[in-house]
Amino acid sequence: MTSTALIRCEHLHHVYARGNVTALNNINLEIQPREIIGIIGQNGSGKTSLVKHFNGLLKPSSGRVLLDGQDTAKRRVQELSADVGYVFQNPNHQLFAKTVEEELEFGPRNLGLSQADIVERREKAIEFFGLQEYRTHHPYRISFPLRKLVGMASVYTMQPRVFILDEPTTGQDNITTRTVYRLIQRLRDEGKTVICVSHDMILLAEVAERMIVMRNAQIIADATPRSVFADSAIMQSTRITPPQVTEFGVQYMQQVTRPLTESGLKPTVVLSVQEAIDTLFAQDQK
Amino acid sequence: MQGVAIPITMVAGNSWMHRINPLPKLLFALGILIFSFATRNPMLLGTVFAVGVFLALTSGIWAQYFKIVQIFFPISLTLITLQSIAPAFPLPWTAIATYGPFTIYQEGIYSGLSMLLRIYCMTTFALVVIMTSHPSDMFVSLQKIGMPYVLNFIFTMTLQLIPILQNEFSTVLSAQKSRGMKGSGFGALLPSMVPVFVGAIERVQQLSISLESRAFGSSGTKTSYRNVTFAFKDYLVGVVGVLITGGLTAWVLLDPSLDWSRTLQFAPEVALGIVLLSTVGFLAFFVVAIFYIVRA
Repeated sequence: MTSTALIRCEHLHHVYARGNVTALNNINLEIQPREIIGIIGQNGSGKTSLVKHFNGLLKPSSGRVLLDGQDTAKRRVQELSADVGYVFQNPNHQLFAKTVEEELEFGPRNLGLSQADIVERREKAIEFFGLQEYRTHHPYRISFPLRKLVGMASVYTMQPRVFILDEPTTGQDNITTRTVYRLIQRLRDEGKTVICVSHDMILLAEVAERMIVMRNAQIIADATPRSVFADSAIMQSTRITPPQVTEFGVQYMQQVTRPLTESGLKPTVVLSVQEAIDTLFAQDQK
Repeated sequence: MQGVAIPITMVAGNSWMHRINPLPKLLFALGILIFSFATRNPMLLGTVFAVGVFLALTSGIWAQYFKIVQIFFPISLTLITLQSIAPAFPLPWTAIATYGPFTIYQEGIYSGLSMLLRIYCMTTFALVVIMTSHPSDMFVSLQKIGMPYVLNFIFTMTLQLIPILQNEFSTVLSAQKSRGMKGSGFGALLPSMVPVFVGAIERVQQLSISLESRAFGSSGTKTSYRNVTFAFKDYLVGVVGVLITGGLTAWVLLDPSLDWSRTLQFAPEVALGIVLLSTVGFLAFFVVAIFYIVRA
């Protein structure tokens, strides 16, 4: 364990009092600054319970979660929100203001920023998320995908160091999904740490540098997306399906290019269409 | 965020109370409701309340019941304080002590105590019924005795919506805290209440469309996945319940000596002690609640 970790979980256990359900069982984890992490696993595997410990929404039943070396159990959610932003899966749980603008100003106001800073952050968010024509709309009078963008923008205006996205692309149209991609890329460029809980393997294959796989309240794998998707045992035990292009690549390697593989060519797990084209082209050349 | 929701919902279990058909239990609770409104006698109300507590204890719902009482008891103590200075009772009133603009009256304390016990009689029996009966079983039972399907559906759906809305409120509160909302003051309520109410309205709208699309409101006999039978013990509980609560109600209505409102006199020290304890109890709860809200 290195001392540079931004978030560190030490023997983290969490048991929900209602129903006595063990949500997390002896989780040990380190997250470094500027990492882009995907957390995957079946429903009920403990993904959301884990990330809710990072901003103090859940407190450990035993063990510790440290943010910058400080125990999150000893800090209030409101304090932690300046460092750890959490975008909820359902935007309806977040939105309450009369206009989109007011909604975006809510977080920065709670942080005690000056009016000038609040306006600057609001305008940046409106521009980035393409909400210009909805700025005076009531958040409940815009479509669900747009509401989801407002939810993300309302956390973006707080400029936290860690950005947690819970199922950001679920139920979203193509435009909103592309905005999520752009958001993660921008956060990466700004040096933020992004933790994305998702069932969208195409998204994670493209943006994540590290994948944490959970099953039955435990972490069963912590590796690059390429390694995780290449591991058929993990895929089967978690019933996760890799992106189609990755599956195609694996099948192709096994069935079509076996002679090449046997003759020394290293099989490659592809994560995108472009990678597949490049790999096939390279093999063709050989 | 765990622990925010108050568990007014069925508690899974297989106690003797869980095994009784919901209908006789409902009948019993209804009888207690009528009895509670028929009398102000603190001894009778206190005895019935104690029986209710015994039922909660032996039904495997004590922890959840106690959690609710823990929250509502200190709040309901204000009844004694407020009634002692402004009794909801026919004149004349007997003054015990005067502190500045406030005069404490004998009848007010009596009235406050009666109200408090009345509320706890009714809620205890109602909670025992709700916490030991599956909403769907209640639905089927009521349907069997000819309750209109739509009315029945509204009643049971309301019971099912309570825990859903409580969970929703808990999630919304988490979402607002994640954006740095300070959890204190009236202003803090707005960001949490708006999404819950809007969500509730949306949920009802979607539910009504969904119900219509599945032939809700059509004529003909309705069937159910759950089958609730009436055993001998269920009839027995129903009959005993009606006899006990009916008998009690008749007794308090027919026997004027049970009206202690003019005869029960608290010693001034005891009366002041009751008012003081109630006020301090409520204020202590208020301070502790604010402390927890601010700290959360």
